[in-house]
Amino acid sequence: MQPSAISHQLSASKPALSWHPRPLLLILGLGLLSILSILTSAQETAIALKGGRLLTVSHGVIENGVIVLQNGKITAVGSAGSVNIPANAQVIDATGETIYPGLIDSETQLGLTEISAEATTNDLVEMSDEIMPNMHTADAFHAESALIPVARLNGITNAIVAPDGGDTLPGQDSFIQLAGASAPEMLLIRDLALPLNFTGDERRNKGGFDKRKFPSTRMGLATQLRQAFIDAQDYKTKLTDYDHKKADAVRDKKPEPLAPKRDLKLEALIPYLEGKKTVVLAAESSSDLQTAVSLANEFKLKFVLNHISHSQPVLDYVASLKVPVIVGPIYEAPKEDERYDTVYSLPAQLYKRGVKIVFASYSAHNVRNLPDAAGFATAFGLPPDEALKAITLNAAEVWGVADQLGSLDAGKTANVVVANGDPLDVKTDVKQVYIQGRAIPMTSRQTQLRDEYSK
Amino acid sequence: MHQTALAKFEFLCVCLIIFITAGFSQNAHHDVVIKNATVMTVTHGNIKNGSIYIKDGKIAAVGESVNAPATATVVDAGGKYLTPGIVDCHSHIALDDDVNEATSPVTPQMMMKDAFDYQDKAIYRALAGGVTTSLLLHGSANMIGGQAVVIKHKYGDGRDALLFPDAPRSIKFASGENPKRVYGGRDQLPSTRMGNFEVQREALVQAQDYNREWDAYNAKVKRGDKDASPPKHDLKLDALSDVLNRKLMVQIHCYRADEMLTEMTMAKEFGYNLRAFHHALEAYKIADQLAANNVGIATFADWWGYKNEAWDAIPWNAVMAMRKGVRVAIKSDSEDYTRRLNQEAAKTIRYGGATEEEALKMITLNAAWIIGVDDRVGSIDVGKDADLVIWDGYPLSTTGVPEKVLIDGEVYFDRTRPGLGTTHYKEGE
Repeated sequence: MQPSAISHQLSASKPALSWHPRPLLLILGLGLLSILSILTSAQETAIALKGGRLLTVSHGVIENGVIVLQNGKITAVGSAGSVNIPANAQVIDATGETIYPGLIDSETQLGLTEISAEATTNDLVEMSDEIMPNMHTADAFHAESALIPVARLNGITNAIVAPDGGDTLPGQDSFIQLAGASAPEMLLIRDLALPLNFTGDERRNKGGFDKRKFPSTRMGLATQLRQAFIDAQDYKTKLTDYDHKKADAVRDKKPEPLAPKRDLKLEALIPYLEGKKTVVLAAESSSDLQTAVSLANEFKLKFVLNHISHSQPVLDYVASLKVPVIVGPIYEAPKEDERYDTVYSLPAQLYKRGVKIVFASYSAHNVRNLPDAAGFATAFGLPPDEALKAITLNAAEVWGVADQLGSLDAGKTANVVVANGDPLDVKTDVKQVYIQGRAIPMTSRQTQLRDEYSK
Repeated sequence: MHQTALAKFEFLCVCLIIFITAGFSQNAHHDVVIKNATVMTVTHGNIKNGSIYIKDGKIAAVGESVNAPATATVVDAGGKYLTPGIVDCHSHIALDDDVNEATSPVTPQMMMKDAFDYQDKAIYRALAGGVTTSLLLHGSANMIGGQAVVIKHKYGDGRDALLFPDAPRSIKFASGENPKRVYGGRDQLPSTRMGNFEVQREALVQAQDYNREWDAYNAKVKRGDKDASPPKHDLKLDALSDVLNRKLMVQIHCYRADEMLTEMTMAKEFGYNLRAFHHALEAYKIADQLAANNVGIATFADWWGYKNEAWDAIPWNAVMAMRKGVRVAIKSDSEDYTRRLNQEAAKTIRYGGATEEEALKMITLNAAWIIGVDDRVGSIDVGKDADLVIWDGYPLSTTGVPEKVLIDGEVYFDRTRPGLGTTHYKEGE
């Protein structure tokens, strides 16, 4: 996607700045906690966080720094003394705290599930067909999910919402901000990217031969996928022909030709065929990875890689592709005969080869643990600065929003986290999260239960 | 460094590592001293520049300096952290998916030991995460499941070497959603929580009858009645009889506060030894009652929302329960999480402010108590098994990982070794 398009979409969310406080009714047990007001009003006064340790991500660490948040943006970042604090600003002493950009989770199911085992609360993936590019996670995104406050309390301010695996093309991702009065305000970008899964899990071959249905093999999956893209190419040609014929008819003042019948599935594939949007190519093993890449190249798709957890033998090949990798989950078990840390060390191995990496929680309930995965990678050779970058600036770059997010720089959206220590340390407690400059109430359904039973 | 020089250097390093490790293992049942370690004892604070003297696989001395024979192999820990081996008191690894005999809701005669696959790589992967002892439990499909097996992660040794010698016996009970889903899904009893508890009660009542039959028979024999005929031996009722006679500790899978209260009432009614609730995600709601009944909990650090009965889970559960006097363990219940229980324990520092020692206790001594082996493992105290972990980095963090793991004084895992890092297991065997 063009950066300008994203800017436009991000700024399209600007009405969010005029949010009104509104109570949200949550599903609560025992009626103990019935109403939870989590919304805040627009940032009215400027905020200056003073004295903290600023991890800018883009330009190093500033000890005893000052960061100013105004009208939803970061307006100044620097060392104390070098930054002019606006006269009317609310000055907050952040001495001893660590301040860093809001974290970005590059694959979640936030807003698509509430209780995993309860089918009625899940909108994760349509399994009726393997080719479902016309599914839009934005259509299912549940803004009032109790999972979202839980995630943002740990400093995650933005995330990709992706459908679950299971299909080759399960539907399109959204890019969200983890605060807002309604789904449209939180959905910064609809249909940002399209997952293309080629892990073997998409095969419908469970059970005996009598229970199988097409496609039950990788051959079947690849053929079906190829057919879908060929159909989309044909469809596109038909649309282009129609446009030409229509233009000719208008020019010749003749009756307009009949428009081709719309096909939503094929229509959804066109921006990806045109290379205007990103395909998220998921594979785990070296062989699946190479098959998936050759399929993507066949149709000149623009792609980033996902998982590649068992592709260690071909990391130089991965580097040669010059595309970013959403790596992991780092907790993926190694293969039977592999050393225990084969997957733990994958982020470092990719980094050493110059690959841009980002992390994802691949989760809904455990989005809050995203920084733990990044921290764990440092125990196996990833430099800590790079680990933080993989959940901030790198992610913003991969998703085309680096002009707005991912670092502490003047002009960017004021998504800022104040914590009592290193973001990669599991013991670190987040003290305050700012999203678009608003101090988010540091409460969730879980803090309310805690407080209720601490009385 | 020059390429060949580097190669030589690497070769020397490997030789040195092998030498050190060999020193460890050859002296396994002799004397080893680990010196210059930050010893986290769990029971009596940290000792900077501490030493441990290991004799015949047991901790013979611990302190700032120890008296050991001059012949003892000395290993310099280089100031690194040294902790007791991690104890995972809720695991289902190394059972080749034979976790649930889900063909009847009451199967106390099942022995997990019969399914134990001592070659399962999951044992190795947990070992590499610092786990030295695990309780392998039956699953939660049945109200009354099977009998657990306690293992030491001596990966590469023979099957019997991995069985924790003379460990107390435990049996798994379960309640809540799982049994009712498994049997309800087949239109069988139980399909509700009413059914769940009735199935459990019915089984225990049958065992009481069985006990009475045997008591009557034994009394007859004692009186010298030569015509007395013994009741038929029934493995299922034998096992339940052991529950009633407190020869088996009961480990109950239970989520909701109300169900934990019901289970405690039932344990009192039948007089069995309810050792711990597993999962216990709502323990924070009834912590006083758990403490009053001396029932431990084996819980997750922050799992939640995966099922309805996990909806009220909060990450402060462990510390809130602990502050009320409950013995709290953090367990894995997972082939994945068992590899990094230290990180899970560290979360209790963040959520609720556990001290370093309290956090560590949740994956060592308290977990050992739940299994009933706290007199043998779980802390660095004289007389205990030398199950130890030397850490790269700080253990209660995302960045600390085990460098060496010792069991009974022998190194079983060494991160600096090439290949799998195992010392007893040879690849390809």
